Amino acid sequence: MLQEPESGALAIPQAEREMDGSHDGETQALTASPEPAPGPLLQESPQEDLGAVREEGAAEPSLTPKGARALAAKTLARRRACRRLDRTVAELVQFLLLKDRKKSPITRSEMVKYVIGDLKDLFPEIIARAAEHLRYVFGFELKQLDRKHHTYILINKLKPIEDEEEVLRGDGPRLGLLMMILGLIYMKGNSAREAQVWAMLRRLGVRPSKYHFLFGYPKRLIMEDFVQLRYLNYRRVPHTNPPECEFSWGPRSNLETSKMKVLGFVAKLHKKEPQHWPVQYREALADEANRARAGASVRARASTHPW
Amino acid sequence: MGGPHPRSPRLEGGAEPSFLPPSSSVRTALGRCVPPSMQGNTKKMGVMTDVHRRFLQLLMTHGVLEECDIKRLQKHCYKVHDCNATIEKLEDFINNINSVLESLYIEIKKGVTEDDGRPIYALVNLATTSISKMASDFAENELDLFRKALELIIDSDTGFASSTNILNLVDQLKGKKMRKKEAEHVLQKFVQNKWLIEKEGEFTLHGRAILEMDQYIRETYPDAVKVCNICRGLLIQGQSCETCGIRMHLPCVAKYFQASSEPHCPHCNDYWPHEVPEVFNPEKERETGLSRSNKRSSRSRQH
Repeated sequence: MLQEPESGALAIPQAEREMDGSHDGETQALTASPEPAPGPLLQESPQEDLGAVREEGAAEPSLTPKGARALAAKTLARRRACRRLDRTVAELVQFLLLKDRKKSPITRSEMVKYVIGDLKDLFPEIIARAAEHLRYVFGFELKQLDRKHHTYILINKLKPIEDEEEVLRGDGPRLGLLMMILGLIYMKGNSAREAQVWAMLRRLGVRPSKYHFLFGYPKRLIMEDFVQLRYLNYRRVPHTNPPECEFSWGPRSNLETSKMKVLGFVAKLHKKEPQHWPVQYREALADEANRARAGASVRARASTHPW
Repeated sequence: MGGPHPRSPRLEGGAEPSFLPPSSSVRTALGRCVPPSMQGNTKKMGVMTDVHRRFLQLLMTHGVLEECDIKRLQKHCYKVHDCNATIEKLEDFINNINSVLESLYIEIKKGVTEDDGRPIYALVNLATTSISKMASDFAENELDLFRKALELIIDSDTGFASSTNILNLVDQLKGKKMRKKEAEHVLQKFVQNKWLIEKEGEFTLHGRAILEMDQYIRETYPDAVKVCNICRGLLIQGQSCETCGIRMHLPCVAKYFQASSEPHCPHCNDYWPHEVPEVFNPEKERETGLSRSNKRSSRSRQH
């Protein structure tokens, strides 16, 4: 039962949570309106149950029938409390991992509000156990950023690997394919119809949905991966019937390469000079000039705001 | 005294930090409490090293990975942290990690894409059944749009919901008002984040969503949910018998009818009217990159 405060979609008002002692997440439906959670309510307060767990050395009740029933009830309650504590620790781990993905520090009050609830007196134990899981299982260290305001962050203990993303995607061939597409788009005037892209690829022996030993399924690579990574934009062309779609450069392509570089790539393919295409060459020159100007102004700004 | 087995969620015999509590109950991943006497030492807990930790971190970053990519991921993690070790077989590697993840109510789950049977892997919550993982990436009205699309997909016969039908529901969304244009953009975000798949203006669930929301879907839509006759798994896309109505996943159809020349419905024995797809085999479908074959050029089928 993970709630994300910013979206508000899964938040259960604190009052509701306090009423419901069992904190049972099993049928947490995706509704914004609070639902009474099913499942047995703990008879005793959670603290007492957990206190019972710690009383390992306490005197045993006598084993009369009444005593046996009391013992059974107490064991059951104890188990439930333990289970509940374990679940809360697990949910806190997941909560911290999710929050960390957004790179925002997590406050203690958020943790109490959305995960810990009425077990908040056990916060030190819960967070200690969560920290240990994060360290051992995921390689993250939970660090308290601010003692006064109780904010925490996760620090990755694993050493960073340069260009890990690229390494993992086995990128050589895939980026080569991307360059071919960027080149086609550029030479066609900064947008290319989907049909044109597939026609070019077919000439290379690449078919959209036929598994390729270098690219996997090309259609997925291009339509999903490249688009998701913002290397390509993909949009419907208005007023076309049957509806057609076109590709253009995505923002990441503009960051990681340039018109001049792509023109150079295309020129090499054709064993010609970039100037062989005067329109594209002029456009690439203008693009280079823009980049130089933008770079200069960024540097100028940076020099007036030293961090 | 029959108290719970003291057992921390890590390898027994490892050094325990002093701040850990001395006892915790033993339980299965599904949250049911198993009496300690039944657990004992039969279950061997795996060991986590930096190889496994990096693997988990990267899998979390990607959300879902295909088998070829996850194998490359595993290789990369070994290369970084333990380059001399033999790379463990993927299944054992993952089982090892899952035994450690059990106490956190998550696991690396393996599934298969519904359209062509490719194996995929995702890190899935076991105890929760909400779409909490999406909640950190999307606003309230966006999540509600997903819910609406999900409901249409599950109610549909084909497993697909048309863009038009989804967009017609924008007025009913909770949270901030959303225009249709914006909703189109949000649907594309779902596709890019691998929650939905789009095919020709219609949307269905990505394999990742099916893996992660299986329990949630079964519990939220118990009457509308469809199930495969062969594997009993949740079914969104598939083929159905026109006589008795049973349904099967495409990869399940492929496997079940692999050897038969005349496929018959496993339930009512009537002739199976649909084309039987091929069983997915990455080895078999390998093509060399730039060469052309006569066989290929004679196939004019567009896609």
